Amino acid sequence: MALTQVDQGLLGTNAQYTGFKNRIINGAMVINQRGSSSYTINTDPVYTLDRFSLGQGGNVNSFTVQQSTTVPTTGFKNSMLVTMGTGVTVAAGAYAYLRQAIEGYNVADFNLGSSTASPFTVSFYVRSNVTGTFGVSLRNGGSTATYCATYTINAASTWEYKTVTIPAITSGTWTTDNTSGLELYFDLGVGSTYSGTANQLNTGANYFGVTGTTKLAATTGATFYITGVQLEKGSTATSFDYRPYGTEFQLCQRYYQNLGNVGVSALNATGVVGFLFPTLMRATPTITFSYNGTSNAIYRFSDAAVSTLSSPTIIATSFGMQNMYAFSPASWASTPGYGYQAAFVLNAEL
Amino acid sequence: MYKLLKNQSQTGLADCVQRTSDGACIPFDPANTDYQAYLKWMAEGNTPTPADEGTQ
Repeated sequence: MALTQVDQGLLGTNAQYTGFKNRIINGAMVINQRGSSSYTINTDPVYTLDRFSLGQGGNVNSFTVQQSTTVPTTGFKNSMLVTMGTGVTVAAGAYAYLRQAIEGYNVADFNLGSSTASPFTVSFYVRSNVTGTFGVSLRNGGSTATYCATYTINAASTWEYKTVTIPAITSGTWTTDNTSGLELYFDLGVGSTYSGTANQLNTGANYFGVTGTTKLAATTGATFYITGVQLEKGSTATSFDYRPYGTEFQLCQRYYQNLGNVGVSALNATGVVGFLFPTLMRATPTITFSYNGTSNAIYRFSDAAVSTLSSPTIIATSFGMQNMYAFSPASWASTPGYGYQAAFVLNAEL
Repeated sequence: MYKLLKNQSQTGLADCVQRTSDGACIPFDPANTDYQAYLKWMAEGNTPTPADEGTQ
């Protein structure tokens, strides 16, 4: 079949319609490697559904996050449900936020902070029992520059589709490496200390909220559902980029891997054990491991022994980010080739 | 709170730190956010527990 028509309007110089269009990972809220059915947000940050963290501080009461099956009628399977605690008048230095930090490599083509910067557009589906004008912010990794914007929830308890276009950001320092390049914040209740002026780039302080916007944390039991979060290059919001589940999962694994029980083998007589990570991680990860729920415990197949290691360590920096090695204590020295098992969690989040 | 760990098979020097609250091993990678939190904790005047001698 011949191609008879190309919509020239969709071929703008800034837009991208193929490949890695959506720079947000897990925007459809389908991946939940940490596995909790309900996350309590009582500190800063708390990582929840993959790639999304939330924070609570000051007089804002703790709140919860769940993976929900309440979705808009547009083909989504999941959303994130935020349920606020007891409502308060948010103090100046208090905050409640939802955040995803995007790795610099993944927004390098935006040319942020240069004269050739591209605008970009955030879109999402949202549903809340609180209506009003809410804040959304885009901050650099160094917390020194933030573009603040707003969106409006018009009807209570109704899914609405929102788009926010951020004009080209031509100043500030925005990294383009494996550190945080661009951070998307939803203001759930950020106090004035951390709030900037809407529709402009705010510099000189750490801003991740927006002045004068509705604070969800002020309403007891306020609910906030969100899904289909997309951040794309250009001034136009396009349809959500449904990526294959396996692809999305691997994208998440660059930042966090919950591997369950992994069989490993000793590499030398001092009991070094190692394995290759399934996905190359963003940075050398923080590692925890356990066996049957006991932290730092490892199971030895040869005699069914379980030992809790007093000082497990890693030498990933010696072998590259893809490898991990845990040392057993001298008293549990092993023979090369002996097999072990433990559940590993690798964390290289932003 | 943190405790230094020793890597005897390589240099013998501590190359990661253990977060005592959960036993996590935090590598000395500037891009690791847990390591950044450790550096901030150090900058506040705190000192990690030294690595054990003669283990591993």
